[in-house]
Amino acid sequence: MTSTTPTLAERFDPKMLATLEGLDFKARYVMEGFLTGLHDSPFHGFSVEFSDYRNYQPGDDLRHLDWRLYARSDRLCIKRYMQETNVRFYLVCDTSASMDYRGSGAWGSKLDCAKVLGAALTWFLLKQNDAAGMLTVSGLAEVPEFIRPSQRPTQFGLILRQLELLRPAGEACLSRLLQHAARLVHRRSVILFFSDLLEPSAEVELGLKQLRFLGHEVLVFQVLDRDELEFPFTEPRVFEDLETGVRRVVSPAVVRQQYLDRFNGFMAPYYALFRQLEIPHCLVRTDENPWHALALFLAQRKRYC
Amino acid sequence: MPLSFLNPLIWLGALAVAAPLWLHLRRKQETQLHRFSALRFLEDQPAPRRSPWRPRHLLLLAVRVLALALILAGFAWPYLRGANTLPIRESRVYVLDNTLSRQADGGFFVDRAALLKELNRAGNDLQVAVVELTSVPRIVAGFADDRQTADQRIRELQPSFERGSYLAAFRQANALLNNSLGDKKRIILLGDNQENQWNENIDTPPFLRQVDLDLPKTPAPELPNLSLSEPRVQRIFLGDKSLVNFTVKLTHSGPAKTANCLVLVNGQTILNRSVDLEQQPETLMLQAQWEAEPSAWLKGEASVQGDPDALPGDNRVFFSLAPVVEGKVAVLAQSSYLRLALSPDIMRGEWAARFLQPGNLAAELAGTEDADVLCLESGYLQSAEVRKVLWHYLTNGRGVLLLVNRLTPGGDACLRELGFEPEGTFQAEEDNPDSFQFVFFNHAIFHPFLSSDYGNLMEIRLTDYARLRASAALPLVFSQRGAPLFFQSTKFPGKLFVAAFGLDREHSSWPIHQSFIPFLDLTLQAARLEDTTPASFEPAEVAQWQLPAGSTASEVVLRAGDHEIERAPVEHGRVRLRLPGQPGLYPVTFDDRQQVERIFSVNPSPKESRLVYVDVPAAPKLWQIEGRRGSVQEEASPVRGQVRLAGVLQQRLWWWMMLGGLLALLLEMELAGRKRQTA
Repeated sequence: MTSTTPTLAERFDPKMLATLEGLDFKARYVMEGFLTGLHDSPFHGFSVEFSDYRNYQPGDDLRHLDWRLYARSDRLCIKRYMQETNVRFYLVCDTSASMDYRGSGAWGSKLDCAKVLGAALTWFLLKQNDAAGMLTVSGLAEVPEFIRPSQRPTQFGLILRQLELLRPAGEACLSRLLQHAARLVHRRSVILFFSDLLEPSAEVELGLKQLRFLGHEVLVFQVLDRDELEFPFTEPRVFEDLETGVRRVVSPAVVRQQYLDRFNGFMAPYYALFRQLEIPHCLVRTDENPWHALALFLAQRKRYC
Repeated sequence: MPLSFLNPLIWLGALAVAAPLWLHLRRKQETQLHRFSALRFLEDQPAPRRSPWRPRHLLLLAVRVLALALILAGFAWPYLRGANTLPIRESRVYVLDNTLSRQADGGFFVDRAALLKELNRAGNDLQVAVVELTSVPRIVAGFADDRQTADQRIRELQPSFERGSYLAAFRQANALLNNSLGDKKRIILLGDNQENQWNENIDTPPFLRQVDLDLPKTPAPELPNLSLSEPRVQRIFLGDKSLVNFTVKLTHSGPAKTANCLVLVNGQTILNRSVDLEQQPETLMLQAQWEAEPSAWLKGEASVQGDPDALPGDNRVFFSLAPVVEGKVAVLAQSSYLRLALSPDIMRGEWAARFLQPGNLAAELAGTEDADVLCLESGYLQSAEVRKVLWHYLTNGRGVLLLVNRLTPGGDACLRELGFEPEGTFQAEEDNPDSFQFVFFNHAIFHPFLSSDYGNLMEIRLTDYARLRASAALPLVFSQRGAPLFFQSTKFPGKLFVAAFGLDREHSSWPIHQSFIPFLDLTLQAARLEDTTPASFEPAEVAQWQLPAGSTASEVVLRAGDHEIERAPVEHGRVRLRLPGQPGLYPVTFDDRQQVERIFSVNPSPKESRLVYVDVPAAPKLWQIEGRRGSVQEEASPVRGQVRLAGVLQQRLWWWMMLGGLLALLLEMELAGRKRQTA
């Protein structure tokens, strides 16, 4: 018997997402943008929010002269303001075959979980007038699928459809994705990265460093299944690798500790790299409610900002 | 029993056997395998090895073996059983002649009994189909029908009065044989080998490929028969009298010496007399005449009785006659005899004459007062307006009776336009006048003059007439000197009758002859625009009827007595009716009204009354195509007919075994699912 898998739109619950209303998602760095919003811009202009003073230079517009200060201190100073702008966000999703794994206690595969998180963040970002785009690589294709960031309301549907079309296939593609992101994303943006990170960190390190060097902010959502984190199997069986098709006869009770050690050892360089590059990292488990993880992450980001 | 790998059933069975095996092996693999994403952390574990086979899950194995066994047995059953799956030795189509002629001496019942006997005797290796030969050949039993059904349908057949075509029946039988399975193909005709049936399709190209024909043995070359056919009825007015003239053809063959003829009209006996047949020609024309109310429908039947008579079914004919509707005739003639004959005193109730004035033809040209027929003397054709009136009548589909009493330059030109070439006039000496020599008595105008009651046309004398040569007209009367005297033109929408003489004493003695008034009446009736749909049909014939102009009927109802037989929609003023198979009179009404618009008479075909037979007809030899038997179809399908699918599907046990196999498979799936869940 097969049950009908609910579509992403059906799984997407706005009521649950409403719990995130109070959280401001601000970029850590001041970004350039076109429209006035919540994020600070490095360009000083003349708008509502005051920034600081500078001395008057001949040729400055007298309208911005602070006459009160001149009356108080007999100094000619020009008022400077902070121009508020919007941020450009990119969803970058790993679609390797390993993302297809779904353990017995999970509510969906890792890719399903990444899709839900991506959709939620897109909705949230578009709601606060930010521009959202997307970058993926389907299966074995060399050419990435790129959605230019936009803040139009129709962008949410466009990204949602693209998320629905994602199918897990092929081997690890993290490094490829990062290279494409570095090549295609020009302006300083926030890159939301969804992956299980089951690829050696050495291959990924260069890509992440390149993105940070270009001034982009990177946020990593690591999606993992309980089976991967805890290896709870008991009966001996044949394991087949989702990406390579290699099979192994395993007695889980014997190798569990060994597995966990290796898994944690594999992830340690990643965590070090994230700290080094100041990349926020959030672990999302497929057997837990993803909204809790998302809310927790946004709260951490708020404090950080 | 030979089996071949080209047989599709073999492949179907192999597929059914392979399915549970594949399911078993696939599930076995699935239950032991776990697809995992983080296998990289288990790299030093050993690679899997094939474990030795040992029986596990014995219940599951038993169910699978049972499913296999049942499916195998199901597919093997038709071969093991064999009873209904013998190779088809022969496919046979019986053509049962159910035309009227086959009623002679009870031939149809003999054939039907023989067919039932053959059907019961036929083995399982024989395919049998039956085609009934009527006006439209009908498949009574196909190859797929079981014997019991075929038997029942054949017993329900009743003798018909229809005429059918051997050719159509053989084509139908051949179409059946083209889809048959037998190694041999055969058509068996159960009929009478009627001569005119075989001769009418002798030029048909061959179409029976490798089909054997069995034709009946004809016991006698001819059977005695009395029959009536071609009833014709007409109204004639003689003075104040409204008469009905009736003729019918009596055909006799065989030793019958006398026959009793009976004519019933509207429930009254008109004629009941004995006719002497000895020393008489084979065909006699019987005639009767009586007075009848002109405003009422006339419904009648004629019958003949005599002995010996092998076919009583053709002894009765039916006829009908519509009430008279007064016609209008416009007259532009000086002949006092003609004017007198058309006066109200003579033609009251039937024709209303309007005498035109040559100087006042505007109303005629305007078309507001069109008459049914224009009666015109050629002397008036000098006038351009008269010529316009003539063309007006002809192009509007109305009738014209043109009397060529004088040839004039203007009149000659008009006659040429009408298709007649004037070649001068003939004037006979007073003591040596010309007379009628040949009259086309089959024409409706002259048919009643076969009876001497209306006068002898040969007594008419002609002294002055025009010599006309017609290219597009049918001469109906010739003079003694060979000149055509009376024509019917076929060139115009309206009917044009042309007499080469005037109706005055200086031209002819006809105006004072007793046949003049009937002739004039019949000519005007023939010229009148009327419904051309025939009123007499053969059994089961399809009638196409063009309804009268201005009719608003949406449906036409064919009735038999009080009950309705058929209701047909009117499309573009036309209606299509299929008449019943039984002879009789069938009134026609419009929509839900009760007023009778037409009465169709259905009478058997006269050809069916011709009980002459042939021993060895030539047509079947021409229809057959010779060739090596089985060269075409057997090459195309080498295993054809070894297992008959219909025979297999009819075996109940086969179905039970297949059903059991499928149920076992379902049970196996359920058990396997539970096993996997437990694992």
